[in-house]
Amino acid sequence: MPPSEPTTFIDLSGRKILVVDDDRVNIRILHGILQTAGYVIAEADTGEKALELYQQFQPDLVLLDVVMPGINGFETCRELIRRYDVKAAPVIFITAKQESDDIVEGLNAGGVDYVPKPFRQKEVLARIRNHLAIRALIARQRSLVTQLSLANEAKNKFLGMAAHDLRNPLASIRGLAEFVLDGTFGPVNAEQTDAVDTIRQASQSMLDLVNELLDVATIEAGQLNLRLAPVRLAELIEKSVALNGMEAARKQTRILFDERDGDPVVALDAAKIRQVMDNLLSNAVKYSPPGSCVHVALRLSPGHCAVSVRDQGPGIPENERDKLFKDFGRLSAKPTGGEMSTGLGLAICRKIVEAHQGVIVAENLPGRGCEFRVTLPISPA
Amino acid sequence: MSFNGKVLLVDDEPHIRKYVSVLLRTLGSPIIFEATNGREAVELFERERPDLTLLDVNMPVQDGLETLPLLLAIDPDAVIVMLTSLTTRQIVEEAAQHGATSYLRKDLPRDELAAALREIIATSFEPDADE
Repeated sequence: MPPSEPTTFIDLSGRKILVVDDDRVNIRILHGILQTAGYVIAEADTGEKALELYQQFQPDLVLLDVVMPGINGFETCRELIRRYDVKAAPVIFITAKQESDDIVEGLNAGGVDYVPKPFRQKEVLARIRNHLAIRALIARQRSLVTQLSLANEAKNKFLGMAAHDLRNPLASIRGLAEFVLDGTFGPVNAEQTDAVDTIRQASQSMLDLVNELLDVATIEAGQLNLRLAPVRLAELIEKSVALNGMEAARKQTRILFDERDGDPVVALDAAKIRQVMDNLLSNAVKYSPPGSCVHVALRLSPGHCAVSVRDQGPGIPENERDKLFKDFGRLSAKPTGGEMSTGLGLAICRKIVEAHQGVIVAENLPGRGCEFRVTLPISPA
Repeated sequence: MSFNGKVLLVDDEPHIRKYVSVLLRTLGSPIIFEATNGREAVELFERERPDLTLLDVNMPVQDGLETLPLLLAIDPDAVIVMLTSLTTRQIVEEAAQHGATSYLRKDLPRDELAAALREIIATSFEPDADE
């Protein structure tokens, strides 16, 4: 079987190669070979001329002799990289200088390959083809990455807009349903109450989802701007415990803030950290068996404070651990009271905590349940 | 406290006008006029001279920030509250600079929205106006 048939799937004909050599005969030979292979060629007989020609010819690859009058091939290559950085075309040295040290210097100067003279035609063509293919693939990857990041940006923008436009109608639906339930418009019978309450609950779940999607969109767009101010952390936790305690009471679950180490004042974005607390507590309640107890603790250590939330739920399956703090990373555990879950809450928590230079971890407790712990730095000032 | 004044409610979304009207009526017996854009709002404002104007920001034809100075030109002492959704600080600040009395987030839970409205009314109107 002839080994020479190229297997690349990228069409390389018409690619431009700059051939630099002070030996006319060499140039003529290379010219012939490359032209037959379908490449477009420009020639220079010194490094200086090569640099000049590079600018207007914009080659896809440079075949570069080393020993030439004026600046040599290595210097020419370094200058190309200095000027064009990662965008510089790949340089293949083609030279009679073939000591190991020469080859190393050439590759260190930024060359991608090194072909000793006299060369074999097939080998030069194969090497050229490979480096052109690599360059084409890199270019393709680059444009894919650019396209993907644009698409992601567009997605976030769309998500933000959609969520934004859904919020108001949902808030109105929820509010009006509450007025109906209150009897503001007159008496409602049991069946009507049940139906309207379903509407209220559904609109609330949708609002939660929309809010979380908005958070994700904001955070992903890099617009999570923290408004830091000194906050008494224990007080913030108490408020969150009180709010979530009401929901917990419906499941005969209790939230106890029963361990606290002093009353630290921490510089943080109160609304955002409150969101984290609310999320951890509502999760703990959501996955706890009815009648159980959720324990909250605030502990201090030098330079840090840690808030932990312990529940008596099923814990985190070891094989699902990596999904825990990821977008839409819903685990197999089911809420014990039929509550909803978007799978976004903990991902948002992680992003908020990390924006505060903090850490959030989760670990299973011996026996039953798990503990979520948020550690935040306390600035010395 | 019972609020029985004239209210101009400006919002292009019917559900918001409905919701906020119901909310206002739980605070007393206000007379409510509704407009769906800034231009209608200016007309109604001129004719009715409301005690309180609730003015949406994003509206077709003429938005809230364009409308605000026009209303204040008619009555520099008007109590005008901007209706916003996700508060962008910028809009709130801009409205405050143009002379808005306050702002109200219409996506708040009902009880918070009612409390915010009550507070705006309490601080903007003399207690002897009603009761």
